[in-house]
Amino acid sequence: MRKSHPVRRAVLATAATVSGIVLLLSLKPASDPGSAAAAGGAAPPAAARSPQGGAAQPIGNGTVTGDAARTQYGAVQVRLTVSGGKITKAEAVQAPAGGQSDQITSNAVPRLNQAAVAAQSAEIDAVSGATYTSSGYKKSLQSALDKARAAGSGQGAGDGAGSAQARTVTGDVAQTQYGPVQVRITVSGGKITKAEAVQTPEGGQSDQVNSNAVPKLNQAAVAAGDAGIDAVSGATYTSAGYKQSLQSALDKAGG
Amino acid sequence: MTTTLAGGRAARRQTMRRIRPRRSPAVPLLLAVGAGAVAVLWLWWTNTPSIADTTGKIVAAGRITGLLAGYLMALVVLQMARVPALERRVGSDRVARWHAMSGRYTVSLVIAHVFLIMWGYARQAGKSLGDIVQQTITSINTLPDMGKAAIGTGLLFVIAFLSIGPVRRRLPYDGWYHVHLLTYAAVFLTFWHQITTGNEFAVEPTAKTFWYGLYGVVTALVLWYRIITPVRLNMRHRMRVEAVVEETPGIVSVLIGGRRLHRMGAEAGQFFRWRFKAPGMRFSSHPYSLSAAPRPDMLRITVKAIGDHTSRLRELEPGTKVWAEGPYGALTAQRRSRGKVLLVAGGVGITPMRALFETLPGASGDITLLYRANSTQDLALWGELAKIADERGARLMYAVNSPDGERPDISAESLRRKIPDVDRHDVFMCGPPGFAQSVYEALRGAGVPARRIHHESFEM
Repeated sequence: MRKSHPVRRAVLATAATVSGIVLLLSLKPASDPGSAAAAGGAAPPAAARSPQGGAAQPIGNGTVTGDAARTQYGAVQVRLTVSGGKITKAEAVQAPAGGQSDQITSNAVPRLNQAAVAAQSAEIDAVSGATYTSSGYKKSLQSALDKARAAGSGQGAGDGAGSAQARTVTGDVAQTQYGPVQVRITVSGGKITKAEAVQTPEGGQSDQVNSNAVPKLNQAAVAAGDAGIDAVSGATYTSAGYKQSLQSALDKAGG
Repeated sequence: MTTTLAGGRAARRQTMRRIRPRRSPAVPLLLAVGAGAVAVLWLWWTNTPSIADTTGKIVAAGRITGLLAGYLMALVVLQMARVPALERRVGSDRVARWHAMSGRYTVSLVIAHVFLIMWGYARQAGKSLGDIVQQTITSINTLPDMGKAAIGTGLLFVIAFLSIGPVRRRLPYDGWYHVHLLTYAAVFLTFWHQITTGNEFAVEPTAKTFWYGLYGVVTALVLWYRIITPVRLNMRHRMRVEAVVEETPGIVSVLIGGRRLHRMGAEAGQFFRWRFKAPGMRFSSHPYSLSAAPRPDMLRITVKAIGDHTSRLRELEPGTKVWAEGPYGALTAQRRSRGKVLLVAGGVGITPMRALFETLPGASGDITLLYRANSTQDLALWGELAKIADERGARLMYAVNSPDGERPDISAESLRRKIPDVDRHDVFMCGPPGFAQSVYEALRGAGVPARRIHHESFEM
């Protein structure tokens, strides 16, 4: 029965816990979350940076949607409205949702939109407390700017229905019970020449279901030429989401 | 009993053969707990690629404290699951102190977790520390299972507050105990938000499985050892009060009959938690040591009337049904490492010492009992102790206050004078905290190593 020293013990326990946590936090790299996500294998699809990063580049009119950039908390996708070579409006068509993300998104996205319009480039500051969302936003914004430039140096105007030139249109994200579904189609001569899913539910059983269902849905979309395709058995939710996003892509291509 | 062998070398050898000191599993258990904590931190480490800014750091600190709190919460409950390895090998008293200590630490972690997470979330929403209450309400309303978690955490804080020393001493034991049982509800309520909003579990199926496993095992152990085991024990042995005997003024023995009581696995020095199905006693369970080795048809406890419950024991009618849980306690012959044993009893602390005095194997002169009481009238069970001493050739000594109220001298010198080879004894000790502390110091002064002083203390 050694004497116990409750106060000494409490002070020691507190000091040990606090210093342990501080040590753990300081050992973690404070690097850019975007590059960390890329290293982790969740690289955003084809967010190739433009070699000429300036804002004074002439860009086309209309709306252009950047590629979706994945972050740890979900995808971010930016749509720009461009008029007379300037960004007149920026909006996020996709941003992390669910849980704490809702709150972060509702705070950060409006600021990022403003910043994008003000800067006329992807060189915007991250919003504090929304580092991942900011990083994804900048990536998708860059990709949208790249596309706008490509369109600007080509046809002049952005979207045009029935254009003979092949172009890709990405449908809106359709939320399903298991996650978002988003379809991108390549349209040429008024026909769908290619359909692909840029986003599908992930994790757990979803991986297996989708590796089976998505190729079938892609084929069906090309074959049908419209969104009137049959659902794949065993992948009802994904099929429904796919059809929805496909319809939205068709609407965009046609409108 | 072993008259033919008494005193001889053969007898000593025979005794030593029966002495197999068992190591307490405390150290391996603590190492396992530490390894678990490292695994939990590893979970956070692998799930956090990088920390972006101050807000990120605050949220990360909140996650670490939350993970550790969730892990320790399971262990705090486990410590009170009455697992035999803990109750009988580590010792109920030590486990209860661990429980209190780790409980305090866990509640501190929960407070840190709630504060850090809510502060971090407020910053993520572009608000400041002042909006933390508003942020907490928002999070409770928007995040899954946070309503439950908030109720559970509130409950936990109430329980923790009632367990603070000065508050607890003002509460009746039974009331405090039944409120304390609500911890199970609090743990259940707070569990779900860990799974659904916990970053580590929402994304990592292995971690989720590990967490379910941890809480599942603890739940199973609680159900098994706190409910099923006692029910089976009492169904099997069907105990009833046989008689109540007044030993000395204020000290009563309760004789308890039942079926095949020697099969309960109780050893001398252990205790049961007793519940007597009499008016006013039905809902309170109290730990009392066996004051004699269990017999096939009879158990005996001896209790000093100091509180409500103990005073009522005197009025127990024969035939009253008894519900017992146990046996618990590690103050048994297993602790012994030497041939010679000194038993030290203070007041009603005689009860486990009396049982050990009767049953510890030993040759003539190996066993000594030192019994401290206020006066010779207060030496409960003295008659039977003298009889046992006589039969076994054991030494029996008492120390009482002098007629003018002066305390007897129990010091290193007096111990060495009375028992010259005291430093070669194992010492078992039971008595009030102040007494135990002073005897402990005297024994250490007389050269008894700490590892051979075996003591049970239920002081927190």
